[in-house]
Amino acid sequence: MTMAQHTLELPDLGEGLIEATVLEWLVEPGAGVERNQPLVEVETTKSAVEIPSPCAGAVARLHAAEGDVVRVGEALVTFDVAQDAGIVGTVPAQERKPTRRVRLKPPEE
Amino acid sequence: MRPGAPAGIRGGGHGFPVRGTAPEPVTSGSGPCPEMEKSLHATLNSAVTLRYVDDDPGAAPGRPPVLLLHGFGSTFELNWVRTGWTAALAAEGLRTIGPDLRGHGSSGKPRQDDAYLPGVFVADLVLLLDELGVERADVVGYSMGSRLAWEFALTRPERVRRAALGGFGPRNAFAGTDLDDLESDDSPFGRLYRAVAELPGNDLAALAACARGQAARPFTEEPAPRSTPLLFVAGEEDEIADGVERLARVSGAAGALRIARRDHRTAVTAGAFKKAVLEFLADEAPISSTA
Repeated sequence: MTMAQHTLELPDLGEGLIEATVLEWLVEPGAGVERNQPLVEVETTKSAVEIPSPCAGAVARLHAAEGDVVRVGEALVTFDVAQDAGIVGTVPAQERKPTRRVRLKPPEE
Repeated sequence: MRPGAPAGIRGGGHGFPVRGTAPEPVTSGSGPCPEMEKSLHATLNSAVTLRYVDDDPGAAPGRPPVLLLHGFGSTFELNWVRTGWTAALAAEGLRTIGPDLRGHGSSGKPRQDDAYLPGVFVADLVLLLDELGVERADVVGYSMGSRLAWEFALTRPERVRRAALGGFGPRNAFAGTDLDDLESDDSPFGRLYRAVAELPGNDLAALAACARGQAARPFTEEPAPRSTPLLFVAGEEDEIADGVERLARVSGAAGALRIARRDHRTAVTAGAFKKAVLEFLADEAPISSTA
């Protein structure tokens, strides 16, 4: 099994904003992380967001300190990941489908 | 917890980033990182259409669902998904129910002030719980959602087992606000209105009507929903929550937790907030009114 590095960049936060400030790191270098584990809280001028890990691995490097401003697309955190580990296979892509569509009579006002 | 899932973390239903109602999976760089799943929504068509998420990992037998009520100008997605709340609740195995409140997100957006009286929101919540066959829920609110959680517990105590109220205090949120001129009003609420007005998908006429509807029934500390255990949580620097400690005392709440170095905008993601609420909801012991 070979190791590779994967860098997570600050994603587009979808509010027309180009940067965010690191509020608090929830992991530290050397720590193992699971996919979807909370990594970091960031704030924009409009909201606060928790960014989950896109993959399983180990934290190799944090690219910003708390209070630093990071622009969308800039490196946030680098992971060491197992290149050919069965990461994808351990997490079903869709396990539950809560979608329901129902029509009710208008309530009596 | 299914095999292969890490302790305390669950995969489903937590997408990021999520925009609008058709979230796109994250494809950040290349490598072995798999794509995020999408959140799924459902629609309840009543007088005003309500979009909501009902997500049940089915791993917390005996626990009521958690109804999540977002703040003014926000949405279920912004307030509860992107902040890590749904992931934290799902990790506990808890079922979560999260509407986009009327006037917000993908739900209907009437433009009459009286469509946004607190009692009208409560009627929506009752309709939603009825539709889902939920007799009683735990309710977690933030900001305006907390105001509505209070109203819900006060007027329909049989439907609310416990309520955690975040980013909320007894002071009049609309003090000094000219609700007929929100475009240029310089009060704290006027500034909040213009900040959320820039979020995609918001309908300004509906939001202004919502503000006037809420303001038409100013919050009062009495009567308090004393038959429902309450917990208050707010950022230490959250001025909107001024006086929450006293409100917690007079309403017989379990407590009022202040989160260090957080304000109204940033307290919502705080781990200490989530931890306090998860513990409060898991606590089966009766709350002493003198605590």
